[in-house]
Amino acid sequence: MKGRAARHLALFAAAGLLLAVWAFPIVWGLLTSLKTERDVLAYPPKVIFEPTLANYREVLFGASSILPNLASSAIVAGFATLLTMLLAVPAAYALARLEFPAKRTSGFYVLATQMLPPVGLIIPYYLVLQRIGGLDTYAGLTAIYLTFSLPFAIWLMVSYFEDIPREMEEAALLDRAGRLRSLWYVILPQVRGGIAVTTIFVFLNAWNEFLFAVVLGGNRVRPVTVAMFNFISVEQTQWARLAAAAMLAMAPVILLGLIAQKHIVKGLTVGAVKGGGRR
Amino acid sequence: MSEIGRVTLSGIVKRHGTFTALHGIDLEIAPGEFFVLLGPSGSGKTTTLRILAGLEPHDAGRVLQDGVDVTERAPGERDVAMVFQSYALYPHMTVHENIAFPLRMVGTAATEIENAVRDAAAKVHIEHLLDRRPGQLSGGQQQRCALARAIVRKPRLFLLDEPLSNLDAKLRVETRVELRKLQRALNVTTVYVTHDQEEAMTLADRIAVFMDGRIAQVGRPADIYSRPASVVVAGFIGSPPMNLLPAEVRGSALVVAGVTVPLGRDAGPAGPVTLGLRPGAIKIAASGIPARIYLVEDLGDATILDLHVGDKLIKMRTGQRPDVREGDEIKLAFAAEAVHLFDPASGLRKAP
Repeated sequence: MKGRAARHLALFAAAGLLLAVWAFPIVWGLLTSLKTERDVLAYPPKVIFEPTLANYREVLFGASSILPNLASSAIVAGFATLLTMLLAVPAAYALARLEFPAKRTSGFYVLATQMLPPVGLIIPYYLVLQRIGGLDTYAGLTAIYLTFSLPFAIWLMVSYFEDIPREMEEAALLDRAGRLRSLWYVILPQVRGGIAVTTIFVFLNAWNEFLFAVVLGGNRVRPVTVAMFNFISVEQTQWARLAAAAMLAMAPVILLGLIAQKHIVKGLTVGAVKGGGRR
Repeated sequence: MSEIGRVTLSGIVKRHGTFTALHGIDLEIAPGEFFVLLGPSGSGKTTTLRILAGLEPHDAGRVLQDGVDVTERAPGERDVAMVFQSYALYPHMTVHENIAFPLRMVGTAATEIENAVRDAAAKVHIEHLLDRRPGQLSGGQQQRCALARAIVRKPRLFLLDEPLSNLDAKLRVETRVELRKLQRALNVTTVYVTHDQEEAMTLADRIAVFMDGRIAQVGRPADIYSRPASVVVAGFIGSPPMNLLPAEVRGSALVVAGVTVPLGRDAGPAGPVTLGLRPGAIKIAASGIPARIYLVEDLGDATILDLHVGDKLIKMRTGQRPDVREGDEIKLAFAAEAVHLFDPASGLRKAP
């Protein structure tokens, strides 16, 4: 009994330590966002200070408001996610179930696109967009986001489709559902957890993306990740405002994560136990 | 018997690369018949069923339903319903929705669906479970749900792929009886796949015994039991199956393990044969073929003795509890009419 209590204590201590390490930057950011610029620079760092919402007011409604940038992020990430899912779900189904020429090759191609370092692609992407007038446009940036989110989403969705027994679909075919209706009525409802997880991951990737946004965006299309960078300049870094902007940028992502927590945990363990990912 | 539901398979060939799974299957199944495809795993019986359903492409041959060639038709265009070994129930739908699904897909009116679902559920005694999901059902209830989904739209042909194999032994025997009753009541042609010869014997009007992608024998259960066409069929049917021993014909007698046993009839030309004996046809006698007891299996109502005859291991079944022990030397006898003779080279049955 005593040994068990000690084990629990050790476990909690380890968990607490890990949590502290993980949470520290976020808590620190949150504290910083509530400080004045003076308090931020105080040494030793002030733990007790008079909190202020001035930074939030400034980054939301001030001269350097990030509201347009949040909107920009939402448009790019939203459209990228929508298009990705609309294309990835049928593509993944085809790769998981149908027989067609060059199926293995196309499956490998999907994976291979994930192996290229994004930095190496920036210059060709820039040149292509410049030629077709796609720089600093929503369509241009969204299209570029599709190039990495689509393979990722297909690759993730294939495993969900493969998890569904073939007999399920054969039963639907014999029940005269046909290929499309069996997909709609029988298969898709069973992978909705997978669709939720994939949607969130795709949205997160697009929302958090910085590298392509900073190079291929501009004055019109400037997602919040790029806008945050403006608080860092040669002369000074506006730490408190940067922290406030970061907190605001993080909010939708955290909200989404909380809503879909159940699905995400299941999604991460997909394939761990046979059939464990479903239902 | 109804007029519709005749099924004809002619020359069905199925290859997987260089391996031939089915070597030209020919079958004629009569309307309303309960037809069992029986065989060990890998013998091609499930493949044949899937070809019948249109789920599996094949390399040659034709499938006919009531004289109409349906070889090129998709599964949904064949008017067949199937119960899968795994049941393949739709996990996100209730039992009611599962049963209603085939009707919904053909646009049946809502009230008609409702009646048909209640009717089908009542036939398999799951009326009280309609609001549950498959995950909340026991194995037996899931099996019934799958059955209800198959019968709800009154198809021309039922296909059942080892539907009882996931049930425990007691439930399996009970469900077997119900299944037989249900099929009789519905009078729909049924093709049933199993590897369990007892299941086949009790359910079937006729059985096709599959061996290595070929049909070894087709016939009524009693015929297959009493006159197996070859040693492979003989060695598969019966529980335990028929014993096979090398022997020699000499005039109207048989020489087994050095002992001459008179048959009292002409046993054909002299020479080596394979002797087939059902375990129940062998008796312990004062004189006869020498055997040594290897194992005594007491089943309660019967005893099975595993015996060494020469270097062959055979089984004998007796209703009594014989006073013998492992290692005992005994003598065996059998009635002449219980003898089955097979050609040792081809394995085929010799007359009669």
